Amino acid sequence: MLNLLYKDLRLAINPLFFILPLFTGALMLIPGWLYFIVLLYFCFIMLPNVLGGFKAQNDLMFSIMLPVRKKDIVAARILSFMTYELIYVIIAVVFAAINLRLYNDWPMFFLSPNIAFFGLIFIMFGLVNITLFPIYFKTAYNYGWAAIMANIMGVCFAVGMEILALKVEKFYVFMHLWNPTDIIYHWILLIIGIVFFIITAWIAYLISIKRFEKVDI
Amino acid sequence: MNALEVKGLNKSYEKFHLKDVNITLELGYIMGFIGSNGAGKTTTLKSILNMVHVESGDISILGQNFIEHEVELKQNIGYAFGGTDFYTKKKIKNITKIVKRFFENWDDNVYEQYLKKFKLDPDKKVSELSEGMKVKYSLALALSHDAKLLLLDEPTSGLDPVARDGLLELFQELVEDGTRSILFSTHITTDLEKCADYITYINNGRIIDSITKDDFIGKFYLLQGPKDKVKLLESSMIAFKTNAFGFTGLIERNRFKEIEGVEYAAPSLEEIMIYYAMKEDQNAEFTI
Repeated sequence: MLNLLYKDLRLAINPLFFILPLFTGALMLIPGWLYFIVLLYFCFIMLPNVLGGFKAQNDLMFSIMLPVRKKDIVAARILSFMTYELIYVIIAVVFAAINLRLYNDWPMFFLSPNIAFFGLIFIMFGLVNITLFPIYFKTAYNYGWAAIMANIMGVCFAVGMEILALKVEKFYVFMHLWNPTDIIYHWILLIIGIVFFIITAWIAYLISIKRFEKVDI
Repeated sequence: MNALEVKGLNKSYEKFHLKDVNITLELGYIMGFIGSNGAGKTTTLKSILNMVHVESGDISILGQNFIEHEVELKQNIGYAFGGTDFYTKKKIKNITKIVKRFFENWDDNVYEQYLKKFKLDPDKKVSELSEGMKVKYSLALALSHDAKLLLLDEPTSGLDPVARDGLLELFQELVEDGTRSILFSTHITTDLEKCADYITYINNGRIIDSITKDDFIGKFYLLQGPKDKVKLLESSMIAFKTNAFGFTGLIERNRFKEIEGVEYAAPSLEEIMIYYAMKEDQNAEFTI
């Protein structure tokens, strides 16, 4: 399975996608912006392009001929996406830290890119993954519908969270806690996000292998 | 020891059925898998490799059940489906770097030897290789992990006669030591006449026969005679066609009794294929 992951990262996915998060991450430096968009670029740009790349390069046939199990192919594919999601998050975190130092006093209309915000980002990626992979592995080939649905899920969650912050004052206040003694709650949300990210990936994996096992190649 | 044993393989699609496919291939032999386009050759090969789900059937490779030991057995199988059509914009050295990680028995020295032998430039991209070179690259990969069974889907299609002849000679060379077997599908019957020990002929999803090449050809006569003799043989022949000069038809030898004016001879594999394909046609008889 690790060899398959290596194959996905080294052979299948264009190295440009390692550089792209540097540019999208830098958008964190726009003051007072809708920072969900920075991470949603993963869904808008990378997700359909990478899946399209797998299809164009006939990766399914290549992978299935190797001495691996079908479930290894599923696991490697999900892990390769999670790796990229983490790269996007880590780079965004670096720029978010700079943002918070630069624009400490900037009036925030939308959610700030703080620890709690990245908890929500992990939840968003969890929802994207659990939508994307079970649909994608119905064929392991056609990706259009899976990408559209995953994007819709990501956008709906992001928009929903921003609207919630605008409409529900308590939520807005919670998301913008600055008192060092309260930051623990942000860390809790981050951990919840990470746990959700892992659990949804696991569920996506279980559903996907069931579907992929039925696929005739 | 059997390199491959397929028993009672059945697979149904909406408009196509593989029916009771049985194939046995011993180590050290080449089997040509022949049939017209759409006869079921690729589906059979994919079924053997568990790439499509079959309704029933047992597949054993090197004496082990393939479904139960899939990953382990794939270490001993090499395959090429219509040449190498994946990662065509990647250099072959980069593809090899990935592929070799998956095989326990990978031998870099053997790989280098085959690169030299096949005159493959590792810095070339797959898309820069000719069809023949793509097949040779697939073979170089398979042989470098010491594959005992090579499953090749139409490896000779798209090759010029010289390249095809070279490849067929290579196949014979590969099985010489008796430790490898090759099953290759083709619709180019002359390939089989040159190098196959066994023939498995599939028509419309059904195996017509799976025996030695000589026995297969020896089962039939190609008949030629005047039109007025057609009536006498019509019911016995597999199929026939008529023209202004008379008729030609295919018959199983055990169903043929000599008739004055009707000439008989051993058919070519191509002729056997053509007449079986005609049999499938509701209107088998047609006039040229």
